[in-house]
Amino acid sequence: MDFHVKPGEYDAINYVPHTESHGTKELWRTFWLLLGITVLDFVIYFVMPATGLRNFIFIFFGLVKAYYIVGAFMHLKHEKINLALIILVPIIFLLGLIMGLLYEGNALTWVK
Amino acid sequence: MANHTPAAFENQPMWAGGRSPFNVSYGKLMMWIFLLSDAFTFSSLLVQYGAQRFSNVETAVTTVWPDPASIFNHFPFMHGLHLPLLFVSVMTFILIMSSVTMVLAVEAGHRKSKKEVQTYMIYTIIGGVMFLSCQAWEWYTFIHEGARLYGNTFGITEQGYNHLHSVGFADHFEWAPGDRTDGPVPFAALFFIVTGFHGFHVFSGVVINVVVYIMTVRGVFERRGHYEMIEKAGLYWHFVDLVWVFVFTFFYLI
Repeated sequence: MDFHVKPGEYDAINYVPHTESHGTKELWRTFWLLLGITVLDFVIYFVMPATGLRNFIFIFFGLVKAYYIVGAFMHLKHEKINLALIILVPIIFLLGLIMGLLYEGNALTWVK
Repeated sequence: MANHTPAAFENQPMWAGGRSPFNVSYGKLMMWIFLLSDAFTFSSLLVQYGAQRFSNVETAVTTVWPDPASIFNHFPFMHGLHLPLLFVSVMTFILIMSSVTMVLAVEAGHRKSKKEVQTYMIYTIIGGVMFLSCQAWEWYTFIHEGARLYGNTFGITEQGYNHLHSVGFADHFEWAPGDRTDGPVPFAALFFIVTGFHGFHVFSGVVINVVVYIMTVRGVFERRGHYEMIEKAGLYWHFVDLVWVFVFTFFYLI
């Protein structure tokens, strides 16, 4: 392997990678998207009956908003894939917890 | 310390030591790890909310979860009017707006423009304080109407039931004040716990932003040569916005 830096020469605490501005275009686009989805949430709330479909739409919109906040505002889309994966993969396990506890919560109505 | 360029570190084999495998600074990586653990904190609270809610669905004996539209329907200076979802949408807008000013401060930091960083940080702090004031008013109204951490005067009413099952647009604006019955305690308790936890995060975010703003004004980052601290404060601030997306969805929309 081709070592450029000998162990011990790397200042782990003070090292900051060089960053450059990518302009504000993507940021403003994300802002309009988030605002648009929130307005859509507001409209759907009043024109649709409170069904499972409406709840599904709200949760889906929430996940879309989360994607854009984490991806664009928190810059995770432009980080190394290694970093993105150690943050995002553990979150997947929550799906099991959510499904399990909603089912068990519902089962409590049988004994209440 | 040997005088290496950043490129020398980045060309080091990835897992051979002597470089950051994720190509981020130590502080930023730690902020991400903290946010991951914080994400689990909020997830546990929201999953608890979901489990409680699913144990209060409509059966012959259990009470039904109340309809949020008939509870969170107040707006400052519009006393007695029934305005569901409006106030909380304004709060959401404030938080999105302050997220944008935060990200603009980060962008200005990349260009090392001290003046712009200061301006955008001030906007972000104002946004945070506005959001906190709104939440204080929301809590005040909710407590004033009888909600407690250990008790809940908001159950499902006939009117709320009709709300939830109505198709018509006009049904959303039918409202009889004082139409009350006791409801499941976790509804009020978890509202206070979750929005309280989130509000406390907003408060700490504002404190962090104020500290970072003072450091900017005193030229700490200028001397340091980079504005990475703005990015770290920004990560925390956006995370608070992210949590609000889910609080808004589960406490108000659904």
